[in-house]
Amino acid sequence: MSRTEPVEPVGPARPRPPRVPASARRRRTARSLLPHLLSVALLVVVLYPVVWVIGASFKPGQDIVGSLELFPTEPITGNFRRLTEGIADIPLSTFFVNSLILAVGSVGGVLFSCSLAAYAFARIRFAGRAVMFGLMISTLLLPVHVLLIPQYIVFQKLELVDTYVPLLLGKYLAVDAFFVFLMVQFMRGLPRELDEAARLDGCGHPRIFWSIVLPLCRPALITSTIFTFIWTWNDFMGPLIYLNDPQKYPVALGMKLFIDQDTLADYGGMMAMSLLALLPVLLFFLAFQRFLVEGATTSGLKG
Amino acid sequence: MTHTKTSPLPPGSAARRAFRRAGTGPPPVATAGEARRRGRRENLAGYLFLSPWILGMLLLTLGPMLASLYLSFTEYDLFNAPRWTGFDNYRAMFEDPRWATSVGVTLQYVLIATPLKLAAALGVALLLARPRRGLGFYRSAFYAPSLIGASVSIGIVWRAIFQDEAVVDRSLRLFGADIGGWVGDPDWAIYTLVALAVWQFGAPMVIFLAGLKQVPRELYEAAEVDGAGAWRRFRSVTLPLISPVLFFNLLLETIHSFQVFTSAYVVSNGRGGPADSTLFYTLYLYEKGFREFRMGYASAMAWMLMLGVGLVTFVLFRTQRGWVHYEGEGAGGR
Amino acid sequence: MRAGRNGRRLRTAAAALALGLLAAGCGGSGGDGTVTLRYSWWGDASRAKLINKTVALFERKHPGITVKTDFLEYEDFWKKFATQSAGGGAPDVFQNSAAFLREYGAKNVLLDLTPQVKAGHLGTDGFRAGLEKAGEVDGKLLAVPVGGNTFALIYNVAEFEKAGVSPEKGWTWDQYHAAVEKISKAGGIKGAAANAGVMYLYDLVLRQRDKAFYTADGELGFTKDDLRTWWNDNYADVEDGTLVPQKKADQVAPKSVLAAGIAASEFSWDNFIVRWSAETDAELALAPLPTTDGERTGQYISSLMLSGYARTQHPEEVARFIDFMVHDPEVGKIMGYNRGVLATERQAAAYEPEGPDALVAEYERQIADLVEPMTPQPAGTSVTEAAFLRIWGDVAHGTTSVAEGVDQFFSEAEQALRS
Repeated sequence: MSRTEPVEPVGPARPRPPRVPASARRRRTARSLLPHLLSVALLVVVLYPVVWVIGASFKPGQDIVGSLELFPTEPITGNFRRLTEGIADIPLSTFFVNSLILAVGSVGGVLFSCSLAAYAFARIRFAGRAVMFGLMISTLLLPVHVLLIPQYIVFQKLELVDTYVPLLLGKYLAVDAFFVFLMVQFMRGLPRELDEAARLDGCGHPRIFWSIVLPLCRPALITSTIFTFIWTWNDFMGPLIYLNDPQKYPVALGMKLFIDQDTLADYGGMMAMSLLALLPVLLFFLAFQRFLVEGATTSGLKG
Repeated sequence: MTHTKTSPLPPGSAARRAFRRAGTGPPPVATAGEARRRGRRENLAGYLFLSPWILGMLLLTLGPMLASLYLSFTEYDLFNAPRWTGFDNYRAMFEDPRWATSVGVTLQYVLIATPLKLAAALGVALLLARPRRGLGFYRSAFYAPSLIGASVSIGIVWRAIFQDEAVVDRSLRLFGADIGGWVGDPDWAIYTLVALAVWQFGAPMVIFLAGLKQVPRELYEAAEVDGAGAWRRFRSVTLPLISPVLFFNLLLETIHSFQVFTSAYVVSNGRGGPADSTLFYTLYLYEKGFREFRMGYASAMAWMLMLGVGLVTFVLFRTQRGWVHYEGEGAGGR
Repeated sequence: MRAGRNGRRLRTAAAALALGLLAAGCGGSGGDGTVTLRYSWWGDASRAKLINKTVALFERKHPGITVKTDFLEYEDFWKKFATQSAGGGAPDVFQNSAAFLREYGAKNVLLDLTPQVKAGHLGTDGFRAGLEKAGEVDGKLLAVPVGGNTFALIYNVAEFEKAGVSPEKGWTWDQYHAAVEKISKAGGIKGAAANAGVMYLYDLVLRQRDKAFYTADGELGFTKDDLRTWWNDNYADVEDGTLVPQKKADQVAPKSVLAAGIAASEFSWDNFIVRWSAETDAELALAPLPTTDGERTGQYISSLMLSGYARTQHPEEVARFIDFMVHDPEVGKIMGYNRGVLATERQAAAYEPEGPDALVAEYERQIADLVEPMTPQPAGTSVTEAAFLRIWGDVAHGTTSVAEGVDQFFSEAEQALRS
């Protein structure tokens, strides 16, 4: 945090605490170990079901439902091998590419449209703001199932069914109030004096938004990126309704093609697929959670 | 509160300049004409920034919402034209015992799952907020359950680990609690879903982490020097500063709990059993709308839920004044 | 600068949209006179492989028609179907079942194929006994069966041998109960679970007594007293430990109690033996329903069918497609019993069943002389069926008494069948 520099002194300078004696240092080591121990203990509980999925993906399909064992007695790789043949004559990679297109396309849309809307709600005093804010919050309140048919009719009339437009358009039009509101909350945490000062410098809203607010909202933007990617990746309701051609199905829908009430369900294939589907999002999260930490450098602005 | 300001921004940037200007006193008083002009400029800017949202609202959200409101006053079987029936659907709800069941189940779930999930998320976020080795791993590991989402696989895992003789049952018996399997037991099945919600605490955790990142280190150090213990530091430094984020999480998790669907659907194989013990509101709504083709009734249910959750939301927004601290504006401002 | 930025944004958005459009497929007819049909069905990936082959075969023999298929799991399939047909975008041809025939027929969703039959585009000859009239409703042909199944007792051979009972044609409910009791008493697994919430089973029980679940005009065909007796008897058996406790039965789902190894028998459709055999190590076999009078089982053949969408642009092609799928022996050879025992004699003859499929074939041959016409299932059946199952579950869990449960079922069913 070398770039951090105090702007305003914190009251009178306080003396640094004296060097700690060895015994206290040992106590401190023990104390710093404690969070690790706690984390690991918690993780054992939290990760048990995940490990169960891993174990299940190496079991024969008929041993999976209701299985008491965490790991198979004789692990098999057939579930994964079967996947390499694709699902219903469609190569596995197709599903992953489709999901990637949808997820990346959605991230772009959410970052673009939701940050603009959030800035307006958090930083601009325009007539009707309270009403529109209320309207935005209210869109969170209605369960999706009653909107499904009216929304479908809109896209059916526009002849956009069986394309990715119904799945992406909303992301570019800030339909996700969750992200708008999330960004609003972060933006409202930024000191108001910043805008006022920038304004005195002759900056208009576009410049304040782009050069001041957006950089300072990085944690919120990173958070939104992570969620949008993962949630789009896992979403199957939209694709279920709007996509007809299985060639366009994303992973989350492909995963549901293993099982049906009529036939011998391929639970093994499904478990293996769930695991494979997890990898890209896990990698994505691993890559992006770092930026959550780096967001720390902007922290100094608050206080 | 102590005012510490540090700047991460590159020297010479607009933000940096703005930053230096900040705190140099109030802006000069504007004349009436200027204020009016400024007001108009603000309106224009506001609508420009909101234009994608407004377009989305008009094109994709408002129409379907109003359509569902209209349908809630009709009998609509999805295939034939809706028939106006006034308040019949709303009246029917109060005579429908399963509707009452679904309200009870949902309230029970909201009241138990929401606080537990938030507590877990905040607890782990605090544990992971301080830089230490292996943090990336811990964070990802704690987030892993939420990565899986609520898929059919999770339904199978969940039923497997909560049946009798499985890991939960056996572990609990070590502590002398003999509950048996949870999934087939009408008294316990709902807690499998509470557990599932708490287990997937990743989203609020990440939001808490992002919020904690905005709390300046110096404040903790100052408080520590002042002799404040961990709890004091949490109460008087952390909590107020993350209150906007806490408010967000509380509000959104409450709303989501009221609308819980997919997890209940996959765990109960879509039926809300055993004996309607996991018949969540939206599950019942789905059943009415898509299995019984009573979309008018389902829409009325949706608007009833909207009214209920809207009221809760309103009350929560009202309480903001008391505990949520915004830096940018006066507390609780919209 | 601002314009530039917005421009870039705009381009990003436009690119994303273009990407979506690029992926767009198009339905309807092409300019070159070829017709594109959309064919939807429920099932899993293994069924998809078979169906894709039959579709390819069809396209080869009908160069003017292209068929796009899509499929989902049962529940998702119907959810999507409902949404799409509400919005006017339902598939041209789709898989259907007896339970939805009158439901959708009453809502004018299904294409009447009668004119196509008259025009010679669709043949209605050569169906197996019991399936000839399966798709007819009030003089309209709304569906054509592709495969059919009948009810059976699927049982664990070793356990029934141990109990000294061999279930065979003409055996009675008393014999069945004795067997179940013996197996349960011996400890280990139970003889059966209470299937008292299965509409199809109760229908057969009623049919054996000259009643049925539904009357010909679509009302409930039994009295509250009938149901009270049926549920009371079953409840008593659950309570005294003869049958699997409901908690256990609910817990093992989506596995069946038989495949999960906690019961020695279960009533279901005969084709389920294929699935359950794969899920358990025990040897399973099929038996006819126990009888009341030593003769009648009340059995009928229920079928999976193909239907056209009432608003399709291409009724003739739909009819030709269905005709091919139902009659072509090659299709029969490919599909096997995936959707039930093949519906037409020609297709059935073209397929040589093996393994559990052979058991099903043998069973259906054995009971062929017992098969009776099916009671039509009125609109509202799916709701009634679900309520029957659910309310029995409440009763079996002890959260509702039998008397209350019966009243509740009657009020829900009457409402569902009225609308």
